[in-house]
Order: sequence, then C-alpha cells, then structure tokens
Amino acid sequence: MSTALLPGLERILFTEEQIDQRIREVGAEISRHYQGKVVKLVGVLKGSVFFLTALARHIEVPLTIDFLGISSFSNKSGAPGVVRIAKDLDDTIEGEDVLLVEDIVDTGFTLRYLLQTLAGRAPNSLAVCTFLDRNSRRIVQVPVDYRCFEIPDRFVVGFGLDYNQLYRNLSYVAVMKPEKSG
Amino acid sequence: MALIAVSGHPGCRFEELARISALRLGFELLTQSRLRTLTEEEFGADARIPDKAYPSLATSILARLATQHHLVYCAVGGEVQARHFPGMLRVHVVAPENIRIGNLMFDNRLERAAARHLLLELEAADRADRKAKFGKTKATADLFDLVLNAESLTSEQMAELIETAVVSGGLKERGYLSAEAAAQLQFQMRLKLAHYGIVPTGSITLRKKMFAHQSEEIFANLLDFYRIAWEYEPRSFPIQWDRDGSVLESFTPDFYLPEMDLYVELTTMKQSHVTKKNRKVRLLRELYPNFNIQVFYQKDFENLIFKYGLAERQVRV
Repeated sequence: MSTALLPGLERILFTEEQIDQRIREVGAEISRHYQGKVVKLVGVLKGSVFFLTALARHIEVPLTIDFLGISSFSNKSGAPGVVRIAKDLDDTIEGEDVLLVEDIVDTGFTLRYLLQTLAGRAPNSLAVCTFLDRNSRRIVQVPVDYRCFEIPDRFVVGFGLDYNQLYRNLSYVAVMKPEKSG
Repeated sequence: MALIAVSGHPGCRFEELARISALRLGFELLTQSRLRTLTEEEFGADARIPDKAYPSLATSILARLATQHHLVYCAVGGEVQARHFPGMLRVHVVAPENIRIGNLMFDNRLERAAARHLLLELEAADRADRKAKFGKTKATADLFDLVLNAESLTSEQMAELIETAVVSGGLKERGYLSAEAAAQLQFQMRLKLAHYGIVPTGSITLRKKMFAHQSEEIFANLLDFYRIAWEYEPRSFPIQWDRDGSVLESFTPDFYLPEMDLYVELTTMKQSHVTKKNRKVRLLRELYPNFNIQVFYQKDFENLIFKYGLAERQVRV
C-alpha cells in the first residue's frame, strides 16, 4: 500500500515504520510476560485482524489464535437492542492464558462487555492488548495491559480501523478530515 | 407451588397425558403453543427467539404463571427447569416402537409404512430440537422422577399415578411461587434473554418523555446497548449558597452509572455555554471530591455519532 494520503484523510498519525517498530516492542514485552506459557490471542473482529497478525509475528512464546465478533450499535435495520456475541470463539478458553487483542479502546464500553463475557469462561488469566488507546474518551475504566499508541481525540482510520468499512487496509494510521468526521 | 413437567418419546401421546393430568388436578396447562402465544404477547410477534435462549424464555414465562397457578408444563426439555423450580415433578412417557407407530396410524389415519416413516421424522426432529435448545439429543431416565411406559398403561391410568405422586409429595400444599422468588428468577432470565436482544415490547417507550435533549436519548440507548445500568438525573448537587445557607445554584449531572459509581455530564452545546458548564463541574469536583464525574464534550459526542453512523438514523426509543 502506498503511503500517499487518500482523499478524505488529513494527515498520517503513525507511519508503517513507526507501527512496525512499536509492535515489535510490545511483542517483546508480551513474550517476556508469558515466558514458559502458551498464550491465546483473541482478536475482536474486524478491526483487530491486521494488528493481531502483525503482533503474533513478534511474539516469541507459543501461541494460538481465535476470533470473536460482537453485534454493532450501528445496526441500521432497527433498534440496536443489546450487545451480543455475533461470532463466538471456536474453542473454549477454560484454563488458558488469554490476551484479548483490540484495535482501539475509547469509551471502554465494548471492552468492558468483552472482559465480563470472557472472564465468565474461566480462563487462567485474561489481559488486554490494544493497538490504539484513546484514553481521553474513556467513560468506563477498563484495564489495558499493553498498548501500542495513545492517540488524541480525533477520528482515525487505517491498519484495521475503518470508516464505513473502508480504509482498513492502509498500512499507516491517519486522521480523517474534520469535514468528513463531523 | 406444584409444577409438573411432562414430556415423552414421539408417538407416546404425552400431550394427552398432560391435558388429562391438568384437568384432574385443576392445574393450568402450559403447552408449547401456549408458550409461543405468551412469548408473542410479552416480547412482540416479531421477536426472534434463538434456540439457545429458549430455556431462559420458558423459565421466565413459567415464573410469571407460577405466582398464580399450579402448572403442568408440557414441552420438550421441561425437565431441565428443575434447576430453577426445586421439587417439580418430572414425568417422561416411553413406549415400544410398535405402540408408537400404532398411535400415529390411529391419530393421523395413516398406513403402517407411512406411520413408521412419520415416527422416524418426528424422532429426528425431536433429537435436533433437543440438541439445539439443550445441547443433548436425548434425555436419559435419571433426569425424571417418573418414567411411565404407555405399552400397557392408558393415559387415565398414568394421570392417576401422577396425581398420587403429587399428593404423596405434598406439592399442592406448598402454595404458589412467591413474588420475591419470581422477581429474582425474572431478573436472572431477563438478563440472559437480553444477551440475545430479547426485551419486552414497549419497555423503553417510557423513556421518550424522559429526556430533555436527543443526545441524552442517544447516550441512554448506547448504555442500554452495552447493558450498563444508568439513572437519569438522579441527584442535584448544591454548588453555591447565600449567606443564610440557602442554595443559590445546583448542578444536576445527566447520568449516574451505579456499577461504576460515576456521574456523566453531556455537553453538546456551543463552546460559549461549555465554559459555564465547566465552571459548574469544577465547583462540583472541589466541593464533592469523593464523587466521580466524567464530562462528555460535544466533540466526543460528534465522534460517537460519526462512529456509529447515527446521524443517518432516526434514534428509536
């Protein structure tokens, strides 16, 4: 993917090189923490896919991966109802060391729900690794064990993060132009 | 309360046994079709009930009826309700294949070959239904208090045996399910049903009149979506007094989230008004340092609207 800015984007926040460097550092941190263990990376669809695969390549302890997806508040077919697991894990996590991998944590609503859900499945341990942390928007305090970048209160896309399902495939993270992002 | 769950192998006429038993005992009969009707009444005709939500749904309906009736519950998997209703009588009816084929021939006016074929279909459907709703294809005898063989017992004889078991167990003397026990069960079941997006119809329409601003409505919807308990403007905090101690100015945060012990204030107004609001928040923090308050600014809210595409959608309440 070219690093030339696409229409609708204001500026690059993190380049491909910065992202790669930071993921290596976080991968090393995780490898140290889980030394002698097998870690299960649980990715939250769809945003975390790019980050999870990049992160997994820099973790040096044995690992397995699984994914789950949750229903979206933006479901336009009707009233949103309540959050639920739309795609569950393929395997049990009972007794496993689980690392939940998120693309971004902002209000904390989603992460809180996921942690509550996964904690109820009796894992040996449960930790959180997020690619981006928008701490300024946090309403619900949730534990974040590993983070690659803290970001300002701007709407960002790329490296898995989308706007209307677009821009996920950017190799960098960019800020969207204000006129587009409200 | 007395609760009798009656189930059986396909072709055993256990539905007939349930009906006769309910009549003899003067109990309310809850069948699968009645359960469907009650579900539609409570959750709307369009409510889609996933198989995995079925046991919780049945518990919720049973708990509601059991505060006013003794019940005969006739549905596949009724025996699993024993975990919520201790002391219930679990009855299962079995019969050899030739008897069941005979029943199907008689009840459906079929030739023997067609009845045999129908039995195979019903058995397959029964297994699939049990598997989808309860995770197992069949129920073993140890899950029941009474296993009755319809080979030589008529439905009337079996109903008599059930009545004897009800009397000897003193089921009727226990009274109906208490309102407190029902409320506790309902809370657990409604929570589970909410996991599947099943909520009573009209339960949120009351909110329409509650909010002063649409942004508050959207925020409440978001909290509901993530199943975060909230209260709307539950408390006012005095922040300025005159010399006599009379309150001159108060501040009422928009939301209180009891699980997080957190007040949330939405400020979706113009910047000129935000300054005024910030002053109030600052005073609140100074005067009440033990209270947690989070301010959600216009920019935060715009990002939220943008993130969830809410500008394009009429917010439903």
